Amino acid sequence: MGEARQINTGTHFMMGNQACAEGVIAAGCGFAAGYPITPASEVFNALAKQLPKAGGTLLQTEDEISAVCAAIGASWAGLKSFTVTSGPGISLMQENIGLAVATETPLVIVDVQRLGPSTGVPSVGMAGDMVQVARGSHGDYQIIAICPESPQEMFDMTVQAFNLAEEYRVPVFVMAEGFVGHMRERVVIPDESQIKLVHRKITQGGEPLTRRDFLDPEVAPMPVFGRGLKTHVTSSCHDEYGMRNLSDPDVMHRYIMTPIEKILGKRDRIVEVEADHEGAKLVLVSYGVVSRSSRQAAAMARAAGLKVGTLRLKTAWPFPDKEVRAAAESADFILVLENNTGQMYPYIKAESAHACKIDFLGPQVLGQIHDPQYILAKIREIMK
Amino acid sequence: MSEKTHPLRKYMRPQVKKTTFCPGCGAGIITQALLRAIDELGLTMDDFVFVSGIGCSAWIPSPLFNADTLHTTHGRPIAFASGVKMGLPDKHVIVVSGDGDLSAIGGNHLIHAARRNIDMTVILVNNGIYGMTGGQTAPTTPHGLITITSPYGNAEHEFDISSLVTAAGASYVARWTAYHPRQMTKSIKKGIEKKGFAMIEAITQCPVQFGRVSKQGSAVNMMKNYKENGIRIEKAARMDASELLVKIVEGEFVDCDKPELISSSAAALQGPTGGSN
Amino acid sequence: MQKVTLFPQSCKGMEDCGICAFVCPKSLFVASEEMNETGYLPPMPPDEEKCTACGNCMIYCPDFAIAVEGGAVDGREE
Ligand SMILES: Cc1ncc(C[n+]2csc(CCOP(=O)(O)OP(=O)(O)O)c2C)c(N)n1
Ligand code: SF4
Ligand code: SF4
Ligand code: SF4
Ligand SMILES: [Mg+2]
Repeated sequence: MGEARQINTGTHFMMGNQACAEGVIAAGCGFAAGYPITPASEVFNALAKQLPKAGGTLLQTEDEISAVCAAIGASWAGLKSFTVTSGPGISLMQENIGLAVATETPLVIVDVQRLGPSTGVPSVGMAGDMVQVARGSHGDYQIIAICPESPQEMFDMTVQAFNLAEEYRVPVFVMAEGFVGHMRERVVIPDESQIKLVHRKITQGGEPLTRRDFLDPEVAPMPVFGRGLKTHVTSSCHDEYGMRNLSDPDVMHRYIMTPIEKILGKRDRIVEVEADHEGAKLVLVSYGVVSRSSRQAAAMARAAGLKVGTLRLKTAWPFPDKEVRAAAESADFILVLENNTGQMYPYIKAESAHACKIDFLGPQVLGQIHDPQYILAKIREIMK
Repeated sequence: MSEKTHPLRKYMRPQVKKTTFCPGCGAGIITQALLRAIDELGLTMDDFVFVSGIGCSAWIPSPLFNADTLHTTHGRPIAFASGVKMGLPDKHVIVVSGDGDLSAIGGNHLIHAARRNIDMTVILVNNGIYGMTGGQTAPTTPHGLITITSPYGNAEHEFDISSLVTAAGASYVARWTAYHPRQMTKSIKKGIEKKGFAMIEAITQCPVQFGRVSKQGSAVNMMKNYKENGIRIEKAARMDASELLVKIVEGEFVDCDKPELISSSAAALQGPTGGSN
Repeated sequence: MQKVTLFPQSCKGMEDCGICAFVCPKSLFVASEEMNETGYLPPMPPDEEKCTACGNCMIYCPDFAIAVEGGAVDGREE
């Protein structure tokens, strides 16, 4: 068992979902669970064929609840674990995403998003789950979510997601849109030696009552099962030793706050943006596939002499608050472009409204990708 | 005199001095039946991972057992345990949870794990009620019984969980009441040793909730009922439905050997089509 | 040799539990008048003369409050 690596080094013309599966294998994933759903199925389909030969195991579950639970179980068994789904599956997983957060379980969830609400249109990609992955489980918590804009990034960010999950003992989401999952482009898979991997720290012995297995802002080593560590893991409120405690208010406070602080305290190392807005009067803020249109629109505007910049949120969660604030404080106007009706808009607005004007522009028709010309027209209207 | 300890104490976390159950709760009898099975097999706690859901019964291994224990969400322990087992195929994975947990909210995981024949042992603690939440109707609550959520009598019919799991494809299924803990231990041992999906349905008293709503009252009265109405499956086969109405059918529902999920997957990969690249 | 050992602090009381009394074939369990730390009334030590070390009280006690040695404790069908 253990780590599965069988890397398809080379230059490929590849679908985003296939590139994601290649990333799963390159990252050394040991266990994948999933349930068929458009537009995500190709990831699990590819893994069904490739992962067992690369030394990993795979379970097609009876539903997405079971998929996320099995992946969490396998992570406690010591494997890098993975599941992939789309919006309806994320909705079903929510309760146990909370469990993964509360038990500090490394886990990668790829969400190839589609048009909702409800069954909606399975084959049309929209960024429909941006808030539900961060806020959809009950209680207060902090996850990590990153947003690929191309098949290449489906590979790169899938590997990155495993590294972040292992380093911080937290569920990490790759927020692909169906468009990116189904897009075919050039994908370069580097040589094995060029792919940097992070492995979780594992507890080395010691009695359970003397070990601080949980609630360390610097990330406690993980007391994985099967090594005689006699680990106690519970979804209930627990202390640093993992023991259930439903009466001490200080423990309750730490149970909620430490896993949040564990991520927010390291946000400068986690958060990534692409900022190209020096001297810009108007900054286009976007993430995911819309960033491609955003860059084109900005280039067209600049060619026409307009001072337009871009800010691409590669990380959606933890929210890039400082980076958005910096853009707002240097510009006169922020225009938020999202492939939905404005899911991240309130968060962006909260960091911008004190410093500049801000507006939102969804796609011309929901379910389509922003046309750069359409963005440009809006820019001209604002800047006239 | 009191340096002596209970012979099964060695399997418990040293700081946990008591079970979490109400006086007379049968969950403690099942706890002991399970620990005795491990003891008699000569295994250690390091050979196991215990997974439980939410409910009184789910607290059997957590925090009591000095082992790797995973206390999960309501209904999902079998799903978690499936991932644990796939990651640690050489460990014995045991799920302990209630009838509501495993047959209502988690019923789908139960039948699918049985169908897959994944190697694990499920101890399904059936007290016929939602104990932890205060005596609501469960899928195991007898027809007609007045409960908190069936104040005019339960209009639904109860699951025969052992038959259900047998039909779903389990390799080993047995049912015993808390009045038959020795037989239960024997079945748990068989379940642990079985390479495949095994379930032991432990019918047990919840004197506080079920005892109250059924007016059967005390733990002892409920155990008297098990003593009087427990009937072996072999004998039950010769009786008709009306005779069986108040009876509790006990014994082994199935004990067979068939390909187990993880070993089958590994074999398929090595097989004639799987070996090539 | 003493056959039955009680751990009275683990007992949850003869009033609400009393399973030991129900399963002892020799009816050797009666409640003590002394409460344990948690306020329950555990049984008094059973009469060793009459005890057959059948093991019932141990195997049925839900709270690990009784240990029995020196008899046919294991593997006996009830
Ligand atoms: C999703 C969810 N729904 C409901 C509950 C509340 N809940 C906790 S325990 C329980 C019932 C437990 O009944 P059972 O599984 O039979 O265990 P028992 O307490 O009877 O041993 C319920 C409904 C919950 N924790 N999670
Ligand atoms: S409520 Fe019922 S099932 Fe729960 S501990 Fe008490 S007696 Fe046992
Ligand atoms: S069976 Fe055990 S817990 Fe119950 S009364 Fe007897 S000694 Fe106490
Ligand atoms: S061992 Fe048997 S006879 Fe002796 S006290 Fe216990 S139940 Fe009674
Ligand atoms: Mg119950």
